[in-house]
Amino acid sequence: MTAVHEDSGPAPEAGASVELGSTLAGSLGRWRPPSIALVAGLLLTAALALTALAVYNRNERRVLNLRVRELSLVVQSTAPSIQTPLASAAALADATGGSPQHFRSFMAPYVGRGRQFTSVSLWPVSTPRGRPTAVLGTAPQLASTPARAAQFLGRANRPGVMNVTGFLSSAHPSIGFAYRVPGHTRGFAVYAENPLPANRRSTLERNSAFSDLKYALYLGHSRRTSDVLVTSEKRLPLTGRQATSVVPFGAGAFTVVVAPRGSLGGTFFKDLPWIIAIAGVLVTLAAVLMTDRLARRRQQAERLAGVLDRVAAENRRMYTEQRSISQSLQHALLPEIMPELNGLRVNARYVPAATGVDVGGDWYDLVAVDDRRVLLVIGDVSGHGLRAATTMALLRHATLAYVTQDCSPATVLAKLSDFVNSGPHDYFATVLCALIDVDRHQLTMASAGHLAPLVLNGGGGEFARVQPDAPIGVTPGSRYHEATVSVPPEAVVVAFTDGLVERRGEVIDVGLDRLRSLAMRHKLPIDDLLTELARDLTSEDHYDDAAMVGIQWQN
Amino acid sequence: MAELDRDHTAEVEIDTRYDPAGVPIVTVAGELDVSNAATLQATVASIVAKRPERLIFSLGDLHYMDSAGIAVLLGAADKVNAVHLRDPSPVVRRVIELTGLAGVLSIES
Repeated sequence: MTAVHEDSGPAPEAGASVELGSTLAGSLGRWRPPSIALVAGLLLTAALALTALAVYNRNERRVLNLRVRELSLVVQSTAPSIQTPLASAAALADATGGSPQHFRSFMAPYVGRGRQFTSVSLWPVSTPRGRPTAVLGTAPQLASTPARAAQFLGRANRPGVMNVTGFLSSAHPSIGFAYRVPGHTRGFAVYAENPLPANRRSTLERNSAFSDLKYALYLGHSRRTSDVLVTSEKRLPLTGRQATSVVPFGAGAFTVVVAPRGSLGGTFFKDLPWIIAIAGVLVTLAAVLMTDRLARRRQQAERLAGVLDRVAAENRRMYTEQRSISQSLQHALLPEIMPELNGLRVNARYVPAATGVDVGGDWYDLVAVDDRRVLLVIGDVSGHGLRAATTMALLRHATLAYVTQDCSPATVLAKLSDFVNSGPHDYFATVLCALIDVDRHQLTMASAGHLAPLVLNGGGGEFARVQPDAPIGVTPGSRYHEATVSVPPEAVVVAFTDGLVERRGEVIDVGLDRLRSLAMRHKLPIDDLLTELARDLTSEDHYDDAAMVGIQWQN
Repeated sequence: MAELDRDHTAEVEIDTRYDPAGVPIVTVAGELDVSNAATLQATVASIVAKRPERLIFSLGDLHYMDSAGIAVLLGAADKVNAVHLRDPSPVVRRVIELTGLAGVLSIES
């Protein structure tokens, strides 16, 4: 059986594996938050801008509808100023039997350059192909079209209200108004005619209440360009957002169409959707940049954490490996113990410290000197690491060499002491040599500062009485005392190093007592006894190596 | 004796005085182990360089000493005619007794 090496150190961990895919996934993952910010920001911006645009459009429409109604009222309000003099003249004509003199004298203030009408005429309604009986100002165009005059002033004419007609395709386009008193089938109609502006163009004054509007005024319910009376524009029809209103005018009607020149609600509200859109895009871009930066930082932090994890795992792996190397070396330096030797059952344990990667300086040997004697050597070199281990190997082999010359423990230790002190050295070693006489059940021991072995006898147990001399390497010319003790048949002897019993902060006797009482409680074959002692006496944090050798007489 | 506890740093206080006769007295208190034995070693080296006849270690408050600490005491004993351990604590006293060093490092109570 070989010496069993207990290892209470941490189990080897699986090495950290670098996932190749994680890099790719990481770079994709980094773009996810900025993309979300971009899409969300743009969607929100578009929604806000569209809402602002819709509100703006609704407001514009409402304002434009209000404005077209206002304009209609203005147009409508001009009707009485036209109708009143005509109606008065018609009543006068009825009353005077169509007197041209009275007519002229009444209407004269209204006619002429700079006055209300350009041409005014008095028409007897009963005349089949009528001609005016009196004319003030220029000759009316109506007079040059007798059929139209008969229709306009006759059947088609509604009495008691102003009637409107236009000469829109003529070389001198003009508009005409006619009035006849109700209740008379043979009465008189008063007709007034005014020229329309050249090209129908009439721009509103800059300070007018309607200067912010484009407009077109049509005769009747029509919106044909040929029916336009007056407009602010060169080209018709009006395009874009517009509003229309039909204005009753006497018996007829005008159609008013308006379109805004700019924004009726103010330029700010017109620009608001754009302001929102631009600001939203800028804010979105800022958010994207910020998110990207945050994502990048987080990724860096994660990468760093990953690196640290790998370093830590690598350290753990290296530590475990070093520790494994140390223990392999220790194992290599220690002998294999035969399970039986000259009628003795023997075994040994080496328990490395719970932590650390150094090899210790503990060693043991069991050699058959002859058929009936066995020499047990156990020792501990001060210090640790490779130096202690190589010193241990040196001492171990020197000891074996001296044993072949003289197996007396005191002599072996004295020779070992002389050997060490023959040159400069900076270590010392405690060594116990015990020559076991198997047949006589006797142990002859010498101790160079080493702890005495424990002798178990049935239910009892005691440390063998052996006076320790100074450790090897302390005093030149050291000589060692021998003591011989007899042990009962079936006794168990356990030799050990101080790592098994020494604890920080307690007198070493406490540790020795702990070992003794534990060993006494176990009546086991030595293999199991050593296993139990190794387990119970070396805790999770034991800081020193420990070695044990056990021998048991067989029957 | 192979101390492997590298993580643990023991606390030790070292104080050097001279008695009226000029004998150096090194008081070591706390715990002396492989992690701090070099500090005591440096102190001892500066003292033995003056070749005193005797050297006294006062160890009444030393509660732990491992083989590295013993090695420092033994190193001093190698260079000075007589090394005395004054009033060692039971922990230290038993280690000295059980390692057969009482003859090399004489204990005075």
